[in-house]
Amino acid sequence: MDKMNSKALKPYLSVLDIFQNKNVLSIISMIIFLLLWDFIVVRGIAGSYLPRPIEVFDRFLYILKNPLAGKTLVGHLLISLKRVFIAFIIAVIFGIPIGVLMGFNQYARAIMKPVFDLFKPMPPIAWISLAILWFGIGETSKVFIIFIGSFVPIVVNSYNGIRLVEPELYDAIRILGADYWQEHLEVTFPGSFPAIFAGMQISLSIGWTCVLAAELVGAREGIGFIIVMGMNVGNVAQIIVGMLVIAAVAFLLSVGLNYLERKVCPWKKQIET
Amino acid sequence: MNGREQVKVKNLFWISFLSILILILVWQFIVSSGIVPSTMLDSPLSVIRLFFDKLTNVNPDGATLGAHVLASLQAILLGYLLALLIGIPLGLLMGWYAVIDGLVRPIFELVRPIPPVAWIPLAIFWFGIGMTGKVYIIFIGGLVPAVINAYTGVLMSNPVLIQMAKTYGASKWQIFKTICIPSALPMIFGALQVALAICWTCLVAAELLASDVGLGYLITMGRRLLLPKLVILGMLMLGVTGFIIGYIVDKIERHLVSGLRR
Amino acid sequence: MEEANRDIKEAYKIECINVSKSYNYGEKTEVKVLDKVNIKAKENEFVVVLGPGQSGKTTLFRLIAGFERPTAGEVYVNDKKVASPNPKIGFVFQKYMLFPWKTVIGNIEMGPKLMGISKKKRREIANYYIKLVGLEGFENYYPNQLSGGMKQRVGIARSYANNADILLLDEPFGQLDAQTRMFMEKEIMRMWNQEKKTVCFVTNNVDEAVFLADRIICLEGKLPGRVNKIYNVDIPRPREFTDIPFIKLREEIKNNMELIL
Repeated sequence: MDKMNSKALKPYLSVLDIFQNKNVLSIISMIIFLLLWDFIVVRGIAGSYLPRPIEVFDRFLYILKNPLAGKTLVGHLLISLKRVFIAFIIAVIFGIPIGVLMGFNQYARAIMKPVFDLFKPMPPIAWISLAILWFGIGETSKVFIIFIGSFVPIVVNSYNGIRLVEPELYDAIRILGADYWQEHLEVTFPGSFPAIFAGMQISLSIGWTCVLAAELVGAREGIGFIIVMGMNVGNVAQIIVGMLVIAAVAFLLSVGLNYLERKVCPWKKQIET
Repeated sequence: MNGREQVKVKNLFWISFLSILILILVWQFIVSSGIVPSTMLDSPLSVIRLFFDKLTNVNPDGATLGAHVLASLQAILLGYLLALLIGIPLGLLMGWYAVIDGLVRPIFELVRPIPPVAWIPLAIFWFGIGMTGKVYIIFIGGLVPAVINAYTGVLMSNPVLIQMAKTYGASKWQIFKTICIPSALPMIFGALQVALAICWTCLVAAELLASDVGLGYLITMGRRLLLPKLVILGMLMLGVTGFIIGYIVDKIERHLVSGLRR
Repeated sequence: MEEANRDIKEAYKIECINVSKSYNYGEKTEVKVLDKVNIKAKENEFVVVLGPGQSGKTTLFRLIAGFERPTAGEVYVNDKKVASPNPKIGFVFQKYMLFPWKTVIGNIEMGPKLMGISKKKRREIANYYIKLVGLEGFENYYPNQLSGGMKQRVGIARSYANNADILLLDEPFGQLDAQTRMFMEKEIMRMWNQEKKTVCFVTNNVDEAVFLADRIICLEGKLPGRVNKIYNVDIPRPREFTDIPFIKLREEIKNNMELIL
């Protein structure tokens, strides 16, 4: 989407030339945003539930250096990341084989697909209550919820990845003399890999949302806990710090995964025009 | 060859049917045989009984099933429509006017990676527990795909058409109105489903934490009262309602798209 | 019985005897795509199958390649009945069908790789055919970085590198623009002269057919596909589109095609 070049579509502009520079506009935009935010707070327009930007920044530095319930910000962040990765790994270990099996075998598909279709419209967050009833408010229930959220996209994408491999590519490899295993090694696997990888990307970002939801409902540590604690003690600055850290991690995850995708699927790059 | 395939398709349907049936039977069996305690899971039969009971009974959670569904529907409809009404024009304007794009994009990019769920505590602070907070969370969730799709839609409009309009002396606003918006429509329709799915998740999250009525609240109450059947009923109702709304929006989308072709 | 009909005096590389093919859509509708088609190709012969769209050309090639089995009749390649995809045949697809995750050289050396030839040896083979098709310098490009003409060169080289002695080209230049197409026609003649193979070539373009073929097999214009007429082209090569015999034959075929359409 970002590649879409808009230059050709915006040949003429109304205002001064300086406003055509994206970077200048971005800086202006951020300054206006922060000033407006500060102004609203100082004037008391937003009531007492919004801190000044500088207070948020102070709070950020504070919990970066000082432990909160035994851990600094980085410690809490690592706890949340650990939960996501454990669940993600489990989802990958179970999800890919199931998706692949569903893609290959129509009987496996007939057995498992309806069960999936039944569960799909239920948001993973809806499982939180059941998870707590089953596993209590501990690590298990959090990992379970994240697993539920990450599992579905991995299965669906593996399934579609296998099914949507261009069938004529199989003709192409067969006429070159490939046997059954070579067919799958040289066509099925690389052909479905981009879709499976995309499924893993989606799954990680959903997992990151789910960990937050799980931690909001009940946790003693983790990034969600920082927000909940801020809520309980009425420290709005801390809530906002938590939100921004979460956003930053989500952003870094998606950038990192895009980079990784370019590394592992180099054939997807296009000619630069 | 195809004759056999016809038979096969029928067989596959029965396999699917059996698969669901077995799932339900196993569920019923492990509950009624006492393998899992009733504080963890209730049988499908008791869920069905509860369903009929909850149609009229307000206990133990304070509202009938219909009231919960209605509350959830109201919240999602408001949040979803608000997100579309604000997100689509915003995306369109950002796509066409570089100045608006330059000013709004940085803020948008800042907000975009924040999961809507993360807004819940702030929403509780700002709006308290109730409809406004819920609608706000749903709105935030739906806004992102609405803006992105409208924006992309404008960028995808055919530059040749724009050049042509310019040679005819059309103003920037006229080009926007007559070329860019129609070009963006397919992308905008595409956003309807995506936004709805996100809104639906947001609704559940918001109701779990910041609500006193609605299907998400029903689920939370089930947990607090250690009544798994209440939780399961809530989840099933969420699934069914979500499926129905998704179906309706899909129909609307198809209708709009076919209208576009004509 | 059909066995008896076979001409055993002359060795053919490809023989299709009374080949018919039907597809079923749903329970009742049956579409007959090929009806009793007979085609023969000798060693190192350049045979062009000419017919408009929807005349069963591609299906015929898929039967020869062994991707599908005929409903009736028999297909022989190298005197053996075709039962499965045969690596002695090289297939060049209309839609290229290169492996998108392999570079140019990776695509070309795929055949030798599948046969278990050592990495060094198959690089040598691949490099030789990269030269033959004129793709030096593009070895490490991915297919989506190539133009249509270049993609089809890779497809041809891939078949050559697999040591196929029969090449089936299914409307290989159908997706190219007119100029590239003419250029590629000359290129395929050059390659064929350099390394002779039995070539079967599908096209719907009369000029292309006359330019390339030793023999043109003209199909009827509608389903089911039937052989309408066979032309032997004995215009000496290299041919020019403006030669008198060229124009004469082209007009004859065109007139005939208008009749069958």
